[in-house]
Amino acid sequence: MIFSSLIFLYLFLPLCLLSYAAVKRVSDRNMVLILFSLLFYAWGEPKRIVYLLLSAAVNYICGIGAGKAKPIFRKIAVGISLIFNIGMIGVFKYSGFLVENINAIFGAHFPVPEIAQMIGISFYTFQVMSYVVDCYWEKVEPQKDPLKLLLYVCLFPQLIAGPIVRYSTIAAEIENRETTLQDLSYGLSRFVVGLAKKVVLADQLFRIVDQFLGSKPEDLTICATWYGIIVYSLYIYFDFSGYSDMAIGLGRIFGFHFDENFRHPYLCKDIQEFWQRWHISLGTFFRDYLMPVPVFGIRNKYLSLALVWLCTGIWHGASWNYVLWGVYYGAFILLETKIGKKKMKKVPIVLRHIYSKLVIIIGYGLFYFEDFKQLGLFFRNLTPFNPNGFFSFAEQMSFYNNLFLLIAGVLCCFPLLDIPKKITEKHEALKAPISVVGTVCCAVLLVLSSILLVDATTKAFLYYRF
Amino acid sequence: MNKDQVMARLTKVFRDVFDDDSIVLSDNTSAKDIEDWDSLEHINLIAAVEKEFKMRFQMKEVSGMKNVGEMASIVAERAKK
Repeated sequence: MIFSSLIFLYLFLPLCLLSYAAVKRVSDRNMVLILFSLLFYAWGEPKRIVYLLLSAAVNYICGIGAGKAKPIFRKIAVGISLIFNIGMIGVFKYSGFLVENINAIFGAHFPVPEIAQMIGISFYTFQVMSYVVDCYWEKVEPQKDPLKLLLYVCLFPQLIAGPIVRYSTIAAEIENRETTLQDLSYGLSRFVVGLAKKVVLADQLFRIVDQFLGSKPEDLTICATWYGIIVYSLYIYFDFSGYSDMAIGLGRIFGFHFDENFRHPYLCKDIQEFWQRWHISLGTFFRDYLMPVPVFGIRNKYLSLALVWLCTGIWHGASWNYVLWGVYYGAFILLETKIGKKKMKKVPIVLRHIYSKLVIIIGYGLFYFEDFKQLGLFFRNLTPFNPNGFFSFAEQMSFYNNLFLLIAGVLCCFPLLDIPKKITEKHEALKAPISVVGTVCCAVLLVLSSILLVDATTKAFLYYRF
Repeated sequence: MNKDQVMARLTKVFRDVFDDDSIVLSDNTSAKDIEDWDSLEHINLIAAVEKEFKMRFQMKEVSGMKNVGEMASIVAERAKK
């Protein structure tokens, strides 16, 4: 099930909220959330829910072993957990890719396993790995109650597309929490904003992307190619950050405070800053758990950089274009490291914005095209070597027809929602009217999103498959 | 090795790694206080400290160290003279 569907909005969520509100004890509320979370997952993966439960069970035992047992057993427990979790991702996400490459390199003919990827595996598996390692590092107390750990693993707001929530972030709230009226109001409005980002912006922008990059990218003019990939960069941001907004909002409705996953990434001035603002929970996961790993027994920033960016690339998908995408970003971060922060800051801010946006937008080509022939043609078509000319009426028509959508997309990359907050901080008297306007805006966005959902074939979130 | 001796040698390591002779360390000095101290440079710093004091940090220490005071305590406890 996905958040941006009518069945979720008008059946699943109200039933879940009513059931949650009907019980008062935290343990009962946890049970309600577990049951609804399992239903939520089973909606898309009825049989594979077994693996989710297995993952929770194995990591529950490993967590206790890693945190409480004698030193040797603690190491064994954390080892088992890592092998199990990485093995799960390996089998369900990378086995086909691995066999294909072995066949290609060695001329072998091993049958390529056709295992459909499990929804959300990269997210919930990373969560439980972080939990067991934190137990081993004595950063958190192992959870003795299996149901509470199951709630951490399967909590539906963040189950299938993140953010990758650390156990330490919500450990206390699993034990005891309450939802204040303020939480409820914030959570609902945050959810609606996320829904609108997905349905009103991302899904509509995707139509343009599909028109230009989806069919025959080799026939595009220079302008059409740039237009397509710029719109794609807007689409991917609203798709993914919209999901995160919904997850954070839903979490808040149930009394959980998740960390932010996006902080207006396109306002970055360099690539290092971009990754401090984009998919923050993945970046901090790699920073905390992968960066300290001595590569080949050596601590070296370049080896760590290579490891982190190879993993960031491959995490996004079992295909060489994602690996290349990770290496591409690693190369620019290496470049910025070599230049140094002080020298980077001396570059005029406009040039830094242009540089970072160009790197990000061109990089999305690597993200979009899994086929290397198409990728090559895409890069050619960005340049004057494009044989299709500079400009055609197709992109002009599309641009004018979607002008409001595009302007809204660009504007929404800025922290617009901070404006009312800042106004109310300065003018207390405006708090009530601004609150009313905010509520009306949310209601309008909900209605608009619902109308668009009735009229559309629901598009899954891009990060759903990761 | 006492903590003052550790801090003096740590200061030298920090100044070399970050190429900044104006660095003055205190227990509370953290990544926020030194502009170039990011997650990547942290790995270089850890490697340089390990080399200087002929000791090894555990991964949880590399990941969880909050300030220079914590680093100095670990070093004082574990470093070979």
